[in-house]
Amino acid sequence: MGTTASQLGKDSLSEYQELTFLTKQEILLAHKRFTELQNRDERNHLNATRVPMEKILTLPELKSNPFRKRICHVFSTSEAKDGSLTFEDFLDLLSAFSDSATLEIKSHYAFRIFDFDDDGTLDCGDLEKLVNCLTGETDDTRLTSEEMRQLISNILEESDIDKDGTVNLSEFQHVISRSPDFVSSFKIVL
Amino acid sequence: MRRMSMFPDADPAHAAFTEDAIKSEMENEEQNLVKELVALSTTDQIRKIRELPMSFKEKKHVRTQVMEFKSSKQSHQFTRLSDCSRNMSLSIRRFGYSIKSARQTLELWHGIMKEIGGKFGSSVLNYFVLLKWLLMFNIFSCLINFGFITIPLLVYGHTPNITSKVGFRGLELLTGAGYFNYTIMYYGSYSNETLYGLVDYNMQLAYFFTIAVYMVLCGIVLIFSMASSFKKNFALANPASNNAWQLLCSWDFSITNERAVNQRKNNLRVQLKESLSEKAHRERQTVSEKLKHYGIYIGSWLLSTSLAVGCGVSIFYLCQYEDKAVDTETWSLLQEAETLLVPFVVSLMNMVIPLFFSLFNKFEHFSNQRKQIYAMLFRNVILRMSILGVLCYYWMYMVPQKFTCWEPMVGQALYRLVIVDFIFLMLGSFFGEFLRNVIGTTLQPRLGVPEFDVARNVLEIIYAQTLAWIGIYFSPLLPVIQILKFFILFYIKKVSLTRNCQPSQRSGRAAQMKTIFIFLLFFPFFVGALSIVAYTAWSLTPSEQCGPFRGLNSTFSVIGEWIDEVDKIPGSEWVVWIYQNVIRSEIFYFLVTLIILVIIYIFWQLTQGRKELIILLSQQIVNHTKQRSAEHSNGRQSHSNAVVQVLLARQQVEEEERRSASGVPVPSDISTSDAMMQAMLARQKAERQDEKFYEIPNEHPPSLDAVALSMAARQRAEEEDEYWSITDFNQSNPVNRFGMQARQRAEGNREDEPNDALSPVSSVMTQVMQARQRAEEEERGQSTRAPGQNPAPSGSSALIQAMLARQQAQNEYDDGY
Repeated sequence: MGTTASQLGKDSLSEYQELTFLTKQEILLAHKRFTELQNRDERNHLNATRVPMEKILTLPELKSNPFRKRICHVFSTSEAKDGSLTFEDFLDLLSAFSDSATLEIKSHYAFRIFDFDDDGTLDCGDLEKLVNCLTGETDDTRLTSEEMRQLISNILEESDIDKDGTVNLSEFQHVISRSPDFVSSFKIVL
Repeated sequence: MRRMSMFPDADPAHAAFTEDAIKSEMENEEQNLVKELVALSTTDQIRKIRELPMSFKEKKHVRTQVMEFKSSKQSHQFTRLSDCSRNMSLSIRRFGYSIKSARQTLELWHGIMKEIGGKFGSSVLNYFVLLKWLLMFNIFSCLINFGFITIPLLVYGHTPNITSKVGFRGLELLTGAGYFNYTIMYYGSYSNETLYGLVDYNMQLAYFFTIAVYMVLCGIVLIFSMASSFKKNFALANPASNNAWQLLCSWDFSITNERAVNQRKNNLRVQLKESLSEKAHRERQTVSEKLKHYGIYIGSWLLSTSLAVGCGVSIFYLCQYEDKAVDTETWSLLQEAETLLVPFVVSLMNMVIPLFFSLFNKFEHFSNQRKQIYAMLFRNVILRMSILGVLCYYWMYMVPQKFTCWEPMVGQALYRLVIVDFIFLMLGSFFGEFLRNVIGTTLQPRLGVPEFDVARNVLEIIYAQTLAWIGIYFSPLLPVIQILKFFILFYIKKVSLTRNCQPSQRSGRAAQMKTIFIFLLFFPFFVGALSIVAYTAWSLTPSEQCGPFRGLNSTFSVIGEWIDEVDKIPGSEWVVWIYQNVIRSEIFYFLVTLIILVIIYIFWQLTQGRKELIILLSQQIVNHTKQRSAEHSNGRQSHSNAVVQVLLARQQVEEEERRSASGVPVPSDISTSDAMMQAMLARQKAERQDEKFYEIPNEHPPSLDAVALSMAARQRAEEEDEYWSITDFNQSNPVNRFGMQARQRAEGNREDEPNDALSPVSSVMTQVMQARQRAEEEERGQSTRAPGQNPAPSGSSALIQAMLARQQAQNEYDDGY
C-alpha cells in the first residue's frame, strides 16, 4: 500500500479525490487493479498508456455485465473509439458507478450507455438493443417481434412526453427520478 | 447542471452555422461555466465541478481555468495572504478527505456489507442494513440504561442482597429465573430511594425518564426514516405508469456472478412478458373463474386468520396451565425448566405456522409476485401480533394478581422468549438454509440451492426487537442480551448466506420493500410495544414490595410527586404551570390535534394543486408537439428546447412539492420563483414561436390554447407562491412581477393591433427590450446589493439571453422581408 501511495503522489491523489466521488481507499484500490492490467513496462507512465478494452473486460466486476462494451465505449476518451481506457477514464467509470455519485450523474451516464448508436436520443433501435441486452441475445431467449413492438410502445408511452417517438435525455432523467431502485442498482464496486 | 444536455440543441440558428461558429459557441459556453463557477465558494466549486457530466480531462481543464481566473483576479491583492489562505483551505480539505475515508474504514461491517451487496443484490443487503440499524438502537438503549440507571445504583453501593440459598445453577442462563432474579437484570432489584452523594439522585425519576426518552427517541427516529424512505420510494414512483422502465432500470450492475446474471436475465424476461400479458389476462377472465379465485382468497384468509387466533388462544391456556408454583425460591431444576415450555411453543409456532401460510400461497394464484409477498407478510404479522397480544394480556392482567412482585416475573418471561427465539433463529438458519442446501444439492437436485428469504428473515428480527422494546421497562438490561443476539446473528446469517444460498432470481422493488419493512417495524410492532409500556406505566399499580416505584398508585404518579417538590422551590412556577395546563389538560391535546388536522388539510390541498399544475403542464407539452408536427424543419430544435425547459420547470415544481410534503413548513421562495422564471422563459420562447406563425391563420387556435393553459398554470403557481411569501418577501419576486407586467403589456400590444403586419416584429422588439431591461435591472440590483462582488455571472447570463433574443428577432425580421 505504501508503494502505491507514493507512486500516485500526494498531489494527484488529492486531485483525484477532488474531481471524483471516490475515497482515498477506493482510488488506491483502483490504482492497484489498474496497474495489474497494465504491462510491466507501462506501469511507470500511468496516464500515458491506454489499456485495451479486452483487458479491461477481464475484470470480474465487468466480465459478466451485459453492458460491458458500452460502458468501456462511453468512458473511453480514446480518439480511435476502441474503448480503451486510461487510468483517469477508469476512475471516471468507478466514480459514476460509486455509492456517492449523484442521481444526475448516474442517469446521464446510464443514458449514454443505453444510447447504442451515440446519436443523443434513445430511439426504437436503441430500446430494442437495450431490452435484448437485458433478456439475453440468443434466439430462444429473445422476445418475439410482436412482444418487442408492444413493449417498446409501452416504454414510449410511459416516457416520451413530447411524443416525438424517441426518449431524450431530459425525458430519461425524468423517468429515472421516479424509479427508486435505480440509484442503488447502478453501482459497480471494486 | 445540465451543461452537456445543452450542447446538442443549443440554438435553432445552429444548423446554419459553420463549424467555427459551433466551436466558438462551445467556448462561450465554457467561459460562462467558468464564470459561474468562479462566483461560488470553494466547497461549492469543488462539488459543482465534480458533478459535471464530463470526462476527467475536461473537468481538470475546467478546474485549472477556474483557478487561473481566480488567481488573475487576486493577483493585485495581497498575494501572500491569499496564498496562505489557499494553502490553509487545501490542507483543511485534505484533512476532511482523510477523516471521511477513516470513518468509512471504522464503520461497522463496511466491507462485509459491500461484499453482500455485490454478491446478492440490494434486497438481501436490506436485511443486513436493518439488522445493523436495530443493533444501533440497542447499543444506544444499553448505553443510556447503564449510564442513568444501573451505574448510579452500583456506585452508591446499593448492590442487591442475594439470599444465601439461591446459588447459580447454570439453567438460569436459559430461564432467567433464580439467581438472576436478585441481580440488576430486572426491575425488582432497583431502589426507590433518592441516592445522596455528590448530587442527589432520584432513582424513580431516572428510571422513568430514561425509558420514556428512549421510547420517544425510537419513535421519532422511526417516523423520520419511514417518512423519508416513503417519500423517496413511493410518493415519487408512479407504479401505474412506470412499469416497463422500472423493470429495465432495476438492473443490478453490481452483480458479478455469471450464473446470477443469467438467472436475472431469464427472470427479467419473464417479468417483462408478464407485464405485457397481465392486462390482457385480466380482461380475459370469465365470471366463474373470478368467483373461484375470490373463493380461494377468502378461504385462505379465513384459514390463516383462524390459525393465528387459534395459536393465540392455545398460548393463553398454556400460560394458565403452567402457573401453579408460586413460590419461585424453592423451584427444583425441573420446575424451572418447565417455565421454558411457553417460549418454546411460541417460537415453534412462529416457525411452523408460516410454512402453512406458504402452502396456502401455492393454491392462490396471485397476478403478480408483489401481491403474493404482501399477503404472506400480512398473515405472518397477524400471527405474531395475536401471540404477542395474548401474552401481553396475560402479563398485564393475570401476573399482577398472582405475584407480590410481578414486574420481574414479566421480565423473566420476556428474557426466556428472547433467548429461546435466538435459539430458534439459529436452528432456523441451520435447517432452513444449511439442510435445505444439502438436500437441494445432493438428494433432490430438482429443488436446487435455496434463496435467502428476505421477508421471513426481516420479520424474525422485527419480532425479536419488539420483545426487547416491551421488555425494557421490566428488565432494563435486556438490550445487552439483544446486542449479543444481533451481533451473533449477523455473522451466522452472513456465513449461512454465503455458504448456502444463491442470489435471488427476482430483481427489483428492493427500495419499496425496504419502506414496507420500516413501516411494519413502526406500525404494528413499535406502536404495540409502546402502548404496552405506556399502559403499564400509566394505569397498572406497581408491586408494593420491590422495584423503584413501590408504594405508588401508578408509575406515572412519580411525575406528580416530583412537581409537588418542584413547587416548593421559588422561581419554578412555570414548570408547575406547564405541568398543570399543558401535560394534564385535555384542551391542550384537543387544540394540538385540531391544528395538526388543519395543517394536514392545507398540505393536502397544496398537493392537489400541484397535481393539477402538473397535468396542465404536460398538456402544454403535448400541445407544443402538435404545433411542431405542423411545422416541419426550422424551429424543431428550439421547440424541443422549450419543451425541455417546461419539463425542467415541472421537475422543479415537483421537487418543491416533495420538500413541502416532507413537513418543512415554509418552502423556500427562491426555488419557486426560479421554477417560475424557467416556466416563463419556456413560455416566452413558445410565444416567439407563435409569432413566427402569425401570418398563417390556421395555426392560431392550438397556440393560443397553449398560451391560455400556461397562463392558468402560472397563475395558480403564483397564487401558491404568494401564499407562502406573504411573510418573508423575497427580492426575486419584484423581478418576477416586473417581468410579468412587461409581458402583459407586450401581449396587450399584440392584441390591440392584430392586423398590423409589423406587429410580430414590434412585439419581438418589446420582448428584447424587456429582456434587456431585466438584465439591467438584475445587474443594478446586484451591484447595489454587493458592490464589491463580481457582477459577472447571473447578470451576464441575463445579457446573453437578451443577445439570443435579439438574434432571434433579427432572424425573424429577415424572414418577414
